[in-house]
Amino acid sequence: MLRHVTQGLALGALLAVTAAAPAQAKTIKVAIGHQSMCTDTYTAGIVVKELKLLEKHLPKTGKYKDVDYDISWADYSSGGPITNQMMANKLNIGVMGDYPLIVNGAKFQATDSLRTYYVAGTGYNLKGSGNAIVVPVKSDLYKIGDLEGKEVSTPVGSAAWGMLLKAAQDNNIKFQLKNQSPAVGAANIAAGKIDAHSDFCPWSEIMEFRGTGRKIYDGSEAGVPYLHGVVVRKDLADDYPEVVQAFIKAVYDAGKWIKEDPIRATDLMEKWTGVEKEVLYIYFSKGGHLSLDPTIKPAWTEALKFDHTVLVKEKAIPPLDFGDWITEKYIRAAYKDMGVDYDKDKAAVVDPVEANAGLPNEIWHARDGIKAYATLPEFLGAIAKFRATGAKINSTYVYDKETGLKLFGKTAFWVVTPKGEFATFLRRGEAEKYAGTIDGKVITFEDAIGMKSS
Amino acid sequence: MTAAGRARRIRGAVAARPRLWLAVTLGFPVVYYLVMFIALVTRFQAWPNYTVTYDWLGNVAEIIRATPSLSDIGTIIAQEWLFEVGRMNYDFGNGISEWSLNINPAKVLVVCLLGGLVATLTTLVAGRRAQCSSARLGGAGAAGGLGAALVAMTNVTLAWVVCCATPSWVVGLAILGLGVSSSLWLEQFGWWIEYAGFVLLLASLYVLSGDAKAAANTNETPYPKSAMGAPQ
Repeated sequence: MLRHVTQGLALGALLAVTAAAPAQAKTIKVAIGHQSMCTDTYTAGIVVKELKLLEKHLPKTGKYKDVDYDISWADYSSGGPITNQMMANKLNIGVMGDYPLIVNGAKFQATDSLRTYYVAGTGYNLKGSGNAIVVPVKSDLYKIGDLEGKEVSTPVGSAAWGMLLKAAQDNNIKFQLKNQSPAVGAANIAAGKIDAHSDFCPWSEIMEFRGTGRKIYDGSEAGVPYLHGVVVRKDLADDYPEVVQAFIKAVYDAGKWIKEDPIRATDLMEKWTGVEKEVLYIYFSKGGHLSLDPTIKPAWTEALKFDHTVLVKEKAIPPLDFGDWITEKYIRAAYKDMGVDYDKDKAAVVDPVEANAGLPNEIWHARDGIKAYATLPEFLGAIAKFRATGAKINSTYVYDKETGLKLFGKTAFWVVTPKGEFATFLRRGEAEKYAGTIDGKVITFEDAIGMKSS
Repeated sequence: MTAAGRARRIRGAVAARPRLWLAVTLGFPVVYYLVMFIALVTRFQAWPNYTVTYDWLGNVAEIIRATPSLSDIGTIIAQEWLFEVGRMNYDFGNGISEWSLNINPAKVLVVCLLGGLVATLTTLVAGRRAQCSSARLGGAGAAGGLGAALVAMTNVTLAWVVCCATPSWVVGLAILGLGVSSSLWLEQFGWWIEYAGFVLLLASLYVLSGDAKAAANTNETPYPKSAMGAPQ
């Protein structure tokens, strides 16, 4: 009897305490998987994280009034593990490149109860620049055809792998494919242990900047847009659509912040990621490889569908219903909230050939920062002058006459005309062809500077 | 022979050599993961430089909470890691994980089951040496060995950054030198290969637990032989 009374009292006390306790604030988990070694993900990854842009946009009124947000970031080397973590709900937002995105969508659709949505892009290159094939700097290989029968490595499953397969098909060549991580590939290029290495952004430019590698094939030649994007778990999107919209607003803001001052942005991004700012500048500067634009264009859907066919051909990946996977619902709502015309941004496409025409060449002076020069003779003259005074130059940038792609001055093929004018090219073949048509001569960067030294 | 009879024979073989059975059962997973670790270090000529321990129980609880479908829950839990040891390359950026060996409890369970089956087969082979022909012993042993190899291969838990979009058992094959295309092509047959491995192992146990053939078909000598093999 006494025991029953005691139990009754204890239960009553417990109920009283429970009733008196303040209501527990609801916690919404926002866990993002990003890649600090993949430049095209920065506007949905490291920039949003470091500038706390998500926190700025997360809803705090209405049903979110008493909500606590548990925001966490996890950095990965590639997209595959992000998908696995999303499956386990340890992450509910993932940022990755085109091929891993497709695997993500297909793997989720292969389950009974889980789905992801492709809700926004991060940035793109219309022609496919960002992926590239690099050879050791002293290699005698200069074009894709030279790779016939050679050893070429790539991170299999990545966007660069997809580009490599397409390049091989387009050019009807066969090579010995090796499976190598970006870091291993870059190290092997430096040591001359592999004939060529195909990789995603910014590995090719890292190799070029460090003077170990030289591009012989740019992704733009494959003609398939190179893009990265954001996938979210359906449960997060369905339960808290405003949180997904907040993330998209943060992505938009990150792009805006970079465009406002690319030098400041690349300087900070170097500190956050460890990737050299001079390399990042080739992506994020005006005229750089990357167009920062989260909109989902029809061409992106087509590109992703094409990428899916490549994956289906190469490996057993589940089917992907693009209609169910890609949704503009959240990005349209985010743009509307920000008062930005989504359809206008969606319709705008940056083609480097047109967009970069007439852009000035640049010198990154170690002390004075970026200096712009309208013509190549002025640019070369300035380098000669700086060198004469012993001034340190971090990097130089010119444009490929053929594709409009931004290049490091030192890795470009230079053509001098009989009148003493100059043109720069990504590939030697095109430089030689152009030189032939104008009775010019292909020269090195150092030769070109030498011609302007007095 | 009845199934009950075969089971009795298997139990008898295990009971006759409990230490051997226990040593193989417990030793197999240890050796398996050690071999994987040594293979990685040998293949990449480098020691690991990082370890991570995961909250496996917490993660499993979260998967159960957040996954509506029971069939999905099992599949996803099966991919959860408990421990990771690997090598981070710091030459670029903040570092990039190049390779790692992962301890995945679901896979460990499968490997333990495999260890038990291999141990049972081992005790059965040892116990039936006197009753079975060398062809039968050899055949069943070889089939069992092949089965064990297939199951072991499909439960490899290695990660390699080069297999960007394909973190799966074929990563192990790629690391060990099989061509990329071949590895990726094989990936789709993972389940079938694993099932085939178990079928082979079970078939070996079935064959060895059956009745022995007549002495005429065995290596058992019905009478003593001289050193030269002539009847005495």
